[in-house]
Amino acid sequence: MARGLGVLVALPLPLPVGFNAEEAHNIVKECVDGVLGGEDYDHNNINQWTASIVEQSLTHLVKLGKAYKYIVTCAVVQKSAYGFHTASSCFWDTTSDGTCTVRWENRTMNCIVNVFAIAIVL
Amino acid sequence: MEDYQAAEETAFVVDELTQLGRARCESWTTNVVEQTSSQLTKLGEPLKYVVTCVIMQKNAAGLHTASSCFWDSSADGSCTVRWENKTMYCIVGAFGLGIGPPSPADDLPPVVHLLTPAMNSVNSFLVLFKSVLWHSQNVEEKNK
Repeated sequence: MARGLGVLVALPLPLPVGFNAEEAHNIVKECVDGVLGGEDYDHNNINQWTASIVEQSLTHLVKLGKAYKYIVTCAVVQKSAYGFHTASSCFWDTTSDGTCTVRWENRTMNCIVNVFAIAIVL
Repeated sequence: MEDYQAAEETAFVVDELTQLGRARCESWTTNVVEQTSSQLTKLGEPLKYVVTCVIMQKNAAGLHTASSCFWDSSADGSCTVRWENKTMYCIVGAFGLGIGPPSPADDLPPVVHLLTPAMNSVNSFLVLFKSVLWHSQNVEEKNK
């Protein structure tokens, strides 16, 4: 139980009724706009940017307060003449779990963010 | 928690092909994730799986990937495989998530901590487990 915590807090939270992909899409898009908006691909900063995108997206998703585990992945690739492919496959409960992909681009780079939400079963 | 081998074996599916063709690349990524996924489920563990794959041509532009997860650190885990040959890089991420009630927290993560008084009242209460914001950065740099 709660060692070191003097108070137990119980909070009623809604059980998952299906993943709201649109909501997640908006959240992630805002995060990406905030981090990459107006920037050009920069080798020195790219590490920080990808880290910020995943951390901020995850924090905002968790703040929704829904009974989900989240996985957020982000790939940023410099624009070039060359090929870049991503794919994902999931083994889960299709009624309660879901995914959302946000594709973002500007003049110098492409950014792909995947959100996977897995329902917590009580 | 994750089976490293299953992900790695599947990455070798693309071994024999050396030239990067657009149409083939699409089917490679699909094959890699599907085969990895089915191999993992054959292990028969009580886990849900998420598998992602990125294939990128060599001598092209820079690529960076990152992932961050909010989960039950005692039941869930992940594994990343980086593979390359003469013409391309392939990054496969496999995430396994435990099915069933989350384990009760026995220490306090600094960020969020809520406990239920009783597990019986499952309809309206949620236990937030000993999960921390787990962040991993899988960085693959490809320079021109």
